[in-house]
Amino acid sequence: MNDMELLRELGQETPLPAPAELDAARARLAAAIASAPAAAGLATVPEVATDQPCPSSGQPAGPLRPSAPAPVLTAVRLMHAGAVGTAVYLIIALAFIGDIQAYHLRYLGHSLTAAQLSHQRPLIITLAIVTGLALIALWLWMARAVSQGRNWARILSTVLLGLATLEVTGNHGVAQVFCAVLTWLTGLAAVWLLWRPASSAFFRQCRQAALTRRP
Amino acid sequence: MRSSAADDAAVIESSWREPERFAVLFDRHAPHIHRYLARRADRQVADDLVAETFLAAFAKRHRYDLGHPDARPWLYGIATNLLGQHRRDEVRQYRIRRAAAAESEVPGHAERVAADVTAQAMRTLLDAALAALPAGDRDVLLLIAWEQLTYQEVSRALAIPVGTVRSRLHRARTKVRQALAGTDAAATYEEITTNE
Repeated sequence: MNDMELLRELGQETPLPAPAELDAARARLAAAIASAPAAAGLATVPEVATDQPCPSSGQPAGPLRPSAPAPVLTAVRLMHAGAVGTAVYLIIALAFIGDIQAYHLRYLGHSLTAAQLSHQRPLIITLAIVTGLALIALWLWMARAVSQGRNWARILSTVLLGLATLEVTGNHGVAQVFCAVLTWLTGLAAVWLLWRPASSAFFRQCRQAALTRRP
Repeated sequence: MRSSAADDAAVIESSWREPERFAVLFDRHAPHIHRYLARRADRQVADDLVAETFLAAFAKRHRYDLGHPDARPWLYGIATNLLGQHRRDEVRQYRIRRAAAAESEVPGHAERVAADVTAQAMRTLLDAALAALPAGDRDVLLLIAWEQLTYQEVSRALAIPVGTVRSRLHRARTKVRQALAGTDAAATYEEITTNE
């Protein structure tokens, strides 16, 4: 075995990187590509590509278009799952509406009579539906914003997770607690992914790209 | 890895009009450029430099010579230039590998243990020899040995004449052979690999 073969053997000890290891670099290049038309004065790039602060999974992206790093894409999927979980939670809550009397007696801390609760049931149901739909909209809004590289959405998602942590302890009934904890864990995983180094690089580059395009 | 579907030059040319096309070049070559950088510096430095390499390439894509279908030499050249700012990291990397090899234990069958220990000793010597090489010689040697570039491709990558590539490679190999020759490890390793 000669010196070149030995060298090759030494070189083979280093494996190719896992795809996730290239996410940060891909995100930086994507940001540079997104800001290229303004910098290079090229006018032939489709307008849709420059309207976005950064490439996102929500766009009609072809295989050639660079995308957000894997942790952000996974976080977006988890947020969509969170929206589904919230919808399921809402359905369960409405299905068990018969128990709402006992639930609200404890939850609200008021000593309402059965007649009073019966009278307010339509209001309670309406509030539950509105709150549930608002939460679903919030999940979807956050998912869309983070996929576009909006850093404020990442921060707001973290704050909302904190608030959800306080709220999750206020549930009663096995099905509701299970659903609430599962949804909360989904949010926790999504927020954790949003603060991974590759995600941070993506948000940083998107912010820089946005600043570059600003007149 | 050689370019496959569409050649690199065509991709770069199309990226002049459609910048997002440049992502194809990243997907095609980034893993190999990253591994090249990780071999020579640590992975953290490689993570950063692979991004810098493609950012620099993207910024300079209008100056790419479309007469060369394969963009690898161009990319390796940029990566090697960027690595020049991390020479200390690179030399430290060889020292770390040397130290790690010296400390590691090899359990197992006696002959296999002897072979593995000797192989580790050879790696240690190689790492020491690489660390001692002049940067220019090391660039040529590793682009050829690790990245399988031809003399012409290395010439393009480093913007030096082919004759200089040959002389640098010859000088580097001589020094590496000298570092390996005359050691017990080299003799034993040669014997073991010949008998296998």
